[in-house]
This record gives sequence, C-alpha cells and structure tokens, in this order.
Amino acid sequence: MSPQPLIIALPKGRILDEALPIVRRAGIEPEAALGDDSSRALRFSTNLPHVSIIRVRSFDVATFVAFGAAHLGIAGNDVLMEFDYSEIYAPLDLGIGKCRLSIAQRTDMTEDLDLSRLSHVRIATKYPNITSKWFAEHGIQAECVKLNGAMELAPALGLCPRIVDLVSTGATLKANGLKESATIAQVSSRLIVNRTALKVRSEEISGWIERFRSAVAG
Amino acid sequence: MSENSTKTLLPEGLRDVLPPDAAFENEVVERLTRTFALNGYNLVKPPLIEFEDTLLSGVGAGMGERIFRMLDPSSHRTLGVRNDITTQIARIAATRLASDARPLRLTYSGPVLRVKGTQLEPERQFTQAGIELIGADNGAADIEVIVVVAEALKKLGVPGLSVDLALPTLVPAILAGFNLSVAAAARVRAALDHKDVAEINAHAGQAAGLLTKLIEASGPVDRAMAQVATLALPPAAKAEWAALEHVARALRAAIPNVAITVDAVENRGFEYHTGITFSVFTAASQREIGRGGRYKLVSGEAATGATLLIDALLPVVPNTATARRLFVSNGTSRAVVATWQDKGWIVVVGLSAGVDDTTEAKRLKCTHILKSSDAVAVS
Repeated sequence: MSPQPLIIALPKGRILDEALPIVRRAGIEPEAALGDDSSRALRFSTNLPHVSIIRVRSFDVATFVAFGAAHLGIAGNDVLMEFDYSEIYAPLDLGIGKCRLSIAQRTDMTEDLDLSRLSHVRIATKYPNITSKWFAEHGIQAECVKLNGAMELAPALGLCPRIVDLVSTGATLKANGLKESATIAQVSSRLIVNRTALKVRSEEISGWIERFRSAVAG
Repeated sequence: MSENSTKTLLPEGLRDVLPPDAAFENEVVERLTRTFALNGYNLVKPPLIEFEDTLLSGVGAGMGERIFRMLDPSSHRTLGVRNDITTQIARIAATRLASDARPLRLTYSGPVLRVKGTQLEPERQFTQAGIELIGADNGAADIEVIVVVAEALKKLGVPGLSVDLALPTLVPAILAGFNLSVAAAARVRAALDHKDVAEINAHAGQAAGLLTKLIEASGPVDRAMAQVATLALPPAAKAEWAALEHVARALRAAIPNVAITVDAVENRGFEYHTGITFSVFTAASQREIGRGGRYKLVSGEAATGATLLIDALLPVVPNTATARRLFVSNGTSRAVVATWQDKGWIVVVGLSAGVDDTTEAKRLKCTHILKSSDAVAVS
C-alpha cells in the first residue's frame, strides 16, 4: 500500500526563507518554485511522492491545519493565539521568525500614558482576539479596528491612537512616529500538527515531529 | 431581503435535515442503540429542558456558559436546554434509579443544543447517542464501554477505527508536586491543551522537563508505555497510569483491529471526568466521532460512559441500504400493498387515475413498478 498523502502548509514571505533550510534538513526537498516569490503556483511537489507543500498566508496556515486540510504546518504563536483552534497542537518551537507582539502608540501622545486610568481604547490591529483579551485582563474594553496590513499608518492619520502589531527591530514604528508601550507576547514559529492526524496516523506524524526536532537541533 | 429569504433563513448553526439524510440518521441511531441494547443497556429518555439549577448541578457544573436559557412562564424559574445527555443520565442514576441493581447499564439518544458554535464546528444542535455504566469502579467497566462502542461502530462499517486513551487526572497530580503559582499553572494547562512545548518551557519551571517528556510520549501504546515507564511520576499518578496501561493492553486483545494510542496530557472536553477517558477517531474523517470516560455521580458513585457524535459519524457510515421502492397503481388493494411491505419493500401508491404508471413511478423516484403481481425494475 502506498503511503497516504501528507500535506504541509508553509507561510508565504519572510518566514518561508527561514523555514526552508529546516524543511530540507528534515528530509523534504521541495520543488524549486516554492522559494520563488514570482511563482503563481499554490501547491508544490517534493522529493517524496506522497508529500506535498501548500504555500498560503500565515493566518491561513493555522486554518488549513485546524480543519485537517493540511496535516503539518509552520505558524507563529501570534497566529495560534489569535485563533486558539482546539484542533491544533504545537509540539515544537522552530526558533525562527522571532519577534514580539506589542502595543505601540504615537510618540507625541502625552495623555493616557497610564493604562490603568483607561476604561476604553480604540486600537488598530490584525489580532482583534488577542488584543481584546489582553485589554480585558487589564480591565479595559478594547474596540478593535481590524486592519490587514500597514497598521503603522493608522495613528498618524488619526484612525486611532494605538496599534497592536508584530515588532522585530522597531525601525518601522520609529519611522512612523510610534513607540512601544507594552509587550503582549514573544513570538516564534512553531511546527503545528492537526490533532486528528496525530491520533489516527500516530507513528507517521510522530516520526515527522522527531525529524523536525533533529533538524532544528542540527 | 426577499420574502423567500425571511421564510427560509434559519438561525446560525441550525438546519433542516431532508430526505434521504433524515431517514439515514434515524437508521444509524437505531442500529447503534440496538447494539447497545443487545449488550444489556436499557433505554432512558430524559427531557430536552430542565430547571437550570438541576441541569448545572453535579457533573453538569461547568456547562453554564454553553446552555440556552429561558424563563418558565409556569414556575417563574429559569430553564436550561440540555447541552449533554450524560449529565442527565448521571442525575437519573443518582436519584430515581438509585435503588436499581448495580452495575446499572443505560443508553440514550437525542438532540442537544449549545449557545455558540466554533469556526471548526458551527453546528449548535447535535445528535448524541451513548451508553453509561454506573456503579462499577474497575478496569473491566472501562474496557466494556470502549469495546461495546468499537463493536457498534464496526457493525456500522466505520473504517479505520482508532481509540485515544487519556488520563485527565495525571497532569494535576504532577503539578501538585511542583510549587507553581495559580496563574502559571493555568498557563501550563492551556499550553498542554495545545501540546505547546515552547509555552511549557516558559511557564512550567521545574515541571517543564517532565511535562515535555509526557507530550513526547503520547502516541502508539507500546512506545508511550515504554517512555512513561522511565519517568519519575508521583506515586498517586503511577497507580492511575498502571490502571490505564492495564486497560490499553486488554483493549488490544479484545479489539485487535482498532488502533490504540495514549495521550498523557489530554484534558480538553473532559471537564467532569475523574479517571480514564477516551476519544474515538476514524481514518475516514477529520473529526472526532466519539468520546467518553470515567466520572463520579453526586452520590460519589463511580461511573463511566461513551457518547457518539452522530453528526460527525454520519459522513463515514457507508450507506449500504438499497431501498427498494415499489410503485403500485391507484386502486391496488391494501392486502397486496401489505404483502409487499411485509417482504421489506417500500410501497408507494399512485393517487391519480389515468396517468401512465411508468412515468409516474419514475417521477416519484421508485425503483420498481408492480405489473401483474411482479415487481418490474423501472429502467
């Protein structure tokens, strides 16, 4: 019997470049088009006939894996926290894509610096769930304006005074007249697996987790 | 909004089940409960709605966020719609059936409601069918429940069955031995639910090494048992783990075609459970099709049970029934109709005279037509 198909979901963009060496060390050699940003293909074959890779947006990696449409994936814990899907396990920290999820506000803002005095904030973010949960834990009601990118523009243009976004060096914030006021979480990319796949194809999926673990260690 | 859309739109997570799916669902539930009955489980039928405080007492505590509530115009008390039938069976066993002989074997089926669906499972109304075995506090009871469920599923033709055993009491027993703050313990529990090793390393302190090893040990029985055997578990946890191992080995012998895996850290969805629990999967579906495990009645009596999630199960049950529908023309005697029905045929009687029987039979999706006391296939 030939092995059942195995689908691995990888995120587009910067993380992909960091993830590919690990994927290769785990014994998977994807076709060259995967690393080529100009390729319009969505699904890629590998050196293993039953293993294929899909390249999707980072948020969608979690969704494909949660529904079992992909069996393995690579996603940041920012995405995992935002969705909190019950069907995703994250058994391995790949140590790539490191950054932090932070709250930033206008550098020239003098009022409301003390969060404890606030009862309500309006905030632009790609992460409405994490944001409202974090503020709720601090006793503040957060009204989230959902944006999908270029968050840093929002305060300067008067959309709202604060944003919640990923920060790596802080250069983008600075260039847009923003400064970090609090860190919500440290972020790194994790190997994620679908719960049912791990239960039903236990030997095989555990084997892949082991291979990725050695790939990260080596 | 068109007039039609206001008439057809249902609230989210609710749907009409149409032919032939509705009949198929009924048949599957009947075949399951028949297997349960053949194993000595007697049918009980609790109501859909109960007083809120009754519904949320005992093993129902913790369901508060999930139930629909309404005010009873008659008693002026708050009513709740059941979210789970097991909690009702537990109530019945501890009260009305308290004096019945133990072990008490009960079976049930019916719809349940929850206030909110998820993106993964948007349904708000489900059908459950299950068994509860009350008053037996040993491994034999755990084994019987899992074996009966596996056999019932096999009879339905569900392919590639796999049972994942868990012990939700193991992690609390381990955490009790380490001096974690309440907040850290909560984060560790949440991280364990996602098998998130990075979060565990960040928050579990001294317990991190042991918990990580437990996560890695989860998988096929033999490997899990060998790996956990090398770990320094607290004595109480060790005894429970030995009981789990006994059950796992007995299951392998009793149901050799069912894959048995073990998950040492699984806890989600087992809120009221106090011992060995399990989830049932099939290679044919991405959804869990059943779950169950050990719990305690308010009386302190030991119980274990299993619930099958019919909505997740239906797509993986092969529909082998070849329903034969016989069209008979208007005016056929009821005696003739009864003869064919006794032989297992569905008989559809034509209501209008003067139309072509063959055309009519085809239009009404009949497979056969009665011609001079013979059933002739409709081509």
